[in-house]
Amino acid sequence: MRRNVILLSAVAVSTLAAIVSFAQVQGGNARAADVTFLGQPVTSEQIARGKEIYAENCASCHGANLEGQPNWKRRLENGRMPAPPHDESGHTWHHSDQDLFAITKLGVGGVVPGYESDMLAFGEILSDEEIAAALAFIKSTWPERQRDVQARITASDGDGS
Amino acid sequence: MKDTDMTTTPEYSARLSRRAFLGALAAGAGLIGLPFSLRAAPGASGPAIAFDGEALILAEGALSRSEGAGGWIDLSAPAGGGILSLATHPGRPGRIVAGLTSGGVAVSEDGGNNWEARSQGLPAATVTAVTVAAAEPDAIYAAIRGDGLWQSEDAGESWAFAMDRPWLADAERDLTALASVDLATGMGGIWIYAGTELGLTRVPDCFCRWQDVQPGDAMDALVSGKPAQMEAPLPAGEAINALVSAASLPTRLYAALPSGIWESQDAGVVWSQKSNTRALAIAVHPTNADHVVAITGDGLARSRDGGANWTALARA
Repeated sequence: MRRNVILLSAVAVSTLAAIVSFAQVQGGNARAADVTFLGQPVTSEQIARGKEIYAENCASCHGANLEGQPNWKRRLENGRMPAPPHDESGHTWHHSDQDLFAITKLGVGGVVPGYESDMLAFGEILSDEEIAAALAFIKSTWPERQRDVQARITASDGDGS
Repeated sequence: MKDTDMTTTPEYSARLSRRAFLGALAAGAGLIGLPFSLRAAPGASGPAIAFDGEALILAEGALSRSEGAGGWIDLSAPAGGGILSLATHPGRPGRIVAGLTSGGVAVSEDGGNNWEARSQGLPAATVTAVTVAAAEPDAIYAAIRGDGLWQSEDAGESWAFAMDRPWLADAERDLTALASVDLATGMGGIWIYAGTELGLTRVPDCFCRWQDVQPGDAMDALVSGKPAQMEAPLPAGEAINALVSAASLPTRLYAALPSGIWESQDAGVVWSQKSNTRALAIAVHPTNADHVVAITGDGLARSRDGGANWTALARA
């Protein structure tokens, strides 16, 4: 009897954890099962971790709600562009997974020679797994249409899915 | 065509000054007593030219239309200001889009006979270039002097800011020409090529960033991590007065420059000079990429062989 109670409690805790994890993912529109990154399935735990990483490293420029900096289409005085939104109103979903990973790891200047940007090279700050998790979180926030388009772009870019 | 030895920048500046002067005159006339309307208005300043099917629409001093052998017919220009650029789309015969010196865009749906202002939301500044999206005939782009690139998805009924001007040589540069090029960017859309006072640039139609023209798509540019060596680019630092991509063969580009008419067969990687007469505006036939008409320093000229040979086109 006592063993059954323990088992039931364990199941209840696991279920609750899953619900909490799923709720955390609901910064976005997608279930973890709908999100892949570089061709690999993404778990709800990765997305939840990505949300934390995003809040700690990305939100200060790209916005707590992925909305980007104000007036982000207008160039700054120094000629650089403000941080764009990562939600469906921006152009992040027009980039392949490979592209997003490279830009995040190397910075925009790392993949576009001579391009001046305030974007850091996060390869010096985050591990590859952490970068992937943050990008998986961002992808999880996109509506289905944007996710479908981005999946096609990733597939056509090779090695993405 | 006759050769000329004209320097680039002074000619361009002179042309801009003339345009600005004509624009100011037209705007002044509007302020005195002619609100933007559908009535006949001050003449089109140009120079600008576009095909509408087999017909040509020409804005050079006045606005006129030629159906071919029948000669030229004068049209009523849109009110409010002279025309700086014209654009059409094979999928919308009869629709002519005009960018105006006084600001705003005018659209004709009947081959240029009647015009309607479609400028809702656009800043009140000179529209230096217009183009119609090759893959979406109701999508129009307009370049606004001192501002940037604007986009309409409903044939000009409403407009939204799309992209700031390109940053070249430590400053933002106005767009002097626009061409929608129906080639995949690798980012889910097609390209918008643009001319500036310093040369050619392009942006994917998701508007992520202005970038140099190089082989391949936007993804290739990122993968390579370094700019491609261009074996035959357009002359460095020279202004581009007009730019077109053939609807029937999008890799075929023609550019009108102070140094002459230039042609590319590979979407702007390799260019060859087809004329060294100062070129002000250019148009390419919607179904024949070899059929080109240009406004040059020597007048109107036509080539039916991709720019190899030119003949003067009568205006009478």
